[in-house]
Amino acid sequence: YSFGLGLAWWSWHGP
Amino acid sequence: MANFTILDVLWAVAFLLLMVGGAFFFYRLARRSESDFFLAGRGLPWWLPASSVFSTHTATDTPMWVTGVIYANGLRGLWYTFFTAWTAIGAFVSARIFRRSLAYTQAEWQTQRFGGLGAEMLRGWMAGWQVFMNMFILGWVGIAMGKVCALAFGWPIWVGLVLPSAITAFYTLAAGYWGVVMGDFLQGIVAIFAIVLVSLVGVSAAGGPIGVTERIVAIGEQWRLDAFAFTGWVDGDFPVVWWLTMLVISVIGGFGMGTSIDWYVEAQRIQSAKTVRDATYGLWAGGAVTLIRNGFWAAGILAFFSMLPNIADAADYELGWFRLGFELLPTGLIGVFFGAILAIHLSTISSHLNLGALYFTRDIYQRYLKPEASERRLVWVGRVSTFVLLIGSFFYGLMMEEITRWLIFALWLMMAGIWLPNILQVVWWRFNAWGYLAGWMANLGVSWLVVWVLPAFGVLPKLPDHLQFWLLLALGAVVFVPVTLFTKPEKMDQLLRYYVMTRPIGWWGPVHREAVRRGLIEKTAAKSTESRPVIRRTWTPQQADEWTREDWIAVILSPLVFAALMIGVTKLLLLQPGGLWLVLGAVLGTGVIYWVIDPKLRAVSGEYEAQQARYVEQLEQRVRWQKEGGR
Repeated sequence: YSFGLGLAWWSWHGP
Repeated sequence: MANFTILDVLWAVAFLLLMVGGAFFFYRLARRSESDFFLAGRGLPWWLPASSVFSTHTATDTPMWVTGVIYANGLRGLWYTFFTAWTAIGAFVSARIFRRSLAYTQAEWQTQRFGGLGAEMLRGWMAGWQVFMNMFILGWVGIAMGKVCALAFGWPIWVGLVLPSAITAFYTLAAGYWGVVMGDFLQGIVAIFAIVLVSLVGVSAAGGPIGVTERIVAIGEQWRLDAFAFTGWVDGDFPVVWWLTMLVISVIGGFGMGTSIDWYVEAQRIQSAKTVRDATYGLWAGGAVTLIRNGFWAAGILAFFSMLPNIADAADYELGWFRLGFELLPTGLIGVFFGAILAIHLSTISSHLNLGALYFTRDIYQRYLKPEASERRLVWVGRVSTFVLLIGSFFYGLMMEEITRWLIFALWLMMAGIWLPNILQVVWWRFNAWGYLAGWMANLGVSWLVVWVLPAFGVLPKLPDHLQFWLLLALGAVVFVPVTLFTKPEKMDQLLRYYVMTRPIGWWGPVHREAVRRGLIEKTAAKSTESRPVIRRTWTPQQADEWTREDWIAVILSPLVFAALMIGVTKLLLLQPGGLWLVLGAVLGTGVIYWVIDPKLRAVSGEYEAQQARYVEQLEQRVRWQKEGGR
């Protein structure tokens, strides 16, 4: 336990 | 244990060179693009993904645990291997839906089915988990190979862990998924040859089929020849309630994505097939051959049991299949047998190296770190991450050498806890990203409670695995169902795009009606005025996109065929009553499924393939965070 999740949140770039 | 001669060494080396050289040969194709390095350019005919499903499923420790359950349980032990049967329905349902999504990975699929920040977090979550999980699986099967080499040659464990995996990494790094599937095809043939040969030699050594039966009856244990030797409804080693739970998990699991830990591997094979039809047949045939393999193994292991019925220690009797091969085969064939063990090992290692690299390259590097990366750069990242996974797996393997069995239990917990959300995300339009993420989060907390905290405080007894499954499922649902209902559904535009592209099964009424209203799909004929043949043989694209009775015939017959194949093969090899009829019934059932579903699959494939290039272009724009040019 993924917590990838942080990277996604940081990346989440009004797409 | 093994008596190797020069001839054996020559055979083993010849097999190794054929398998590695044959796979390496394709490196020129792999370096062209990300799609080539990870999906073989989405162009494979069904028999290549099928052989890859089978070969990847067969690892060095597989004959150990299959031997373990058959030696301990007799023929009914085959049901422990029936978890593979998720492919029975999966081939006709989830494989079709996933193939139409065109997603490289399950993580990417999450961002097609769901939208917004929740979907993005799910993608990162799953990508991180899968990179780790593939390293874990590589370490786990690597250690198993280390133990086999220690047994056969007396090598230190680390040699068998490092050397074969490094050889595999050589061609996986060079030829990517092209090397993986071509290697898997060659390795699958070698593995099947060895499994059939050793089982037949084992049965023959025990005095033939009659000899095996007579020996087992002589010690008063004829229940071992009964696939339905239940110990009661809920009590004993093999209760009916366990069997029913297993059937629910595996068979109904075919309606979901991720209901088996194997899904993530097979999803790559599904996506590499050149059409929807090839994806379906690839997964179905791979699952069927895997279950036939189990049937052959079971016959050989029952023969082993009949000769040596009193081995008490599981660690000893689990080596039964290896002992049959190393002790009964003549000079020369022992080398072939070791070549087959290498084949079994290489195919599993190569698949997980490439899959872990895929999640890192596609979902982490390209999506989050360098969306504008060139194809050449992505292939380079794929190769570097393959190498890093290899090194990581060595550390992991050595670290968990003694506790592998316990960690496999953790895999079971992760599968059981999110089994229901994994189905709901496919079949229920209202399920959303927050509900699914809540299901994952709840699984960690609930597992701690059910497995350790509550039993430690005496609140709950230690439950058997099959009852744990239902408790994990219920407690998880208490969390994710309210979260789903108290948060908004996914945006209709997101759902419409996904629905039109993949045409999912299940409860999608509101999305379907909106798609018809907007003219995205044609309205289907009303039920009452419809006249149609009992089994439709010619399909328009619109008719083939709907789920119809032809699909349900395939869905119902398919698990029955799988069960009949698996049990039938063992019974036939041991000349047990009913064996021939079960196998003939399975062959007939397969023919009926093909006759009913093939025209429809051809229509679905033909219509979908015409639009695929446009869909792939949109997919590549989306992964780079670009706005799409029109719908």
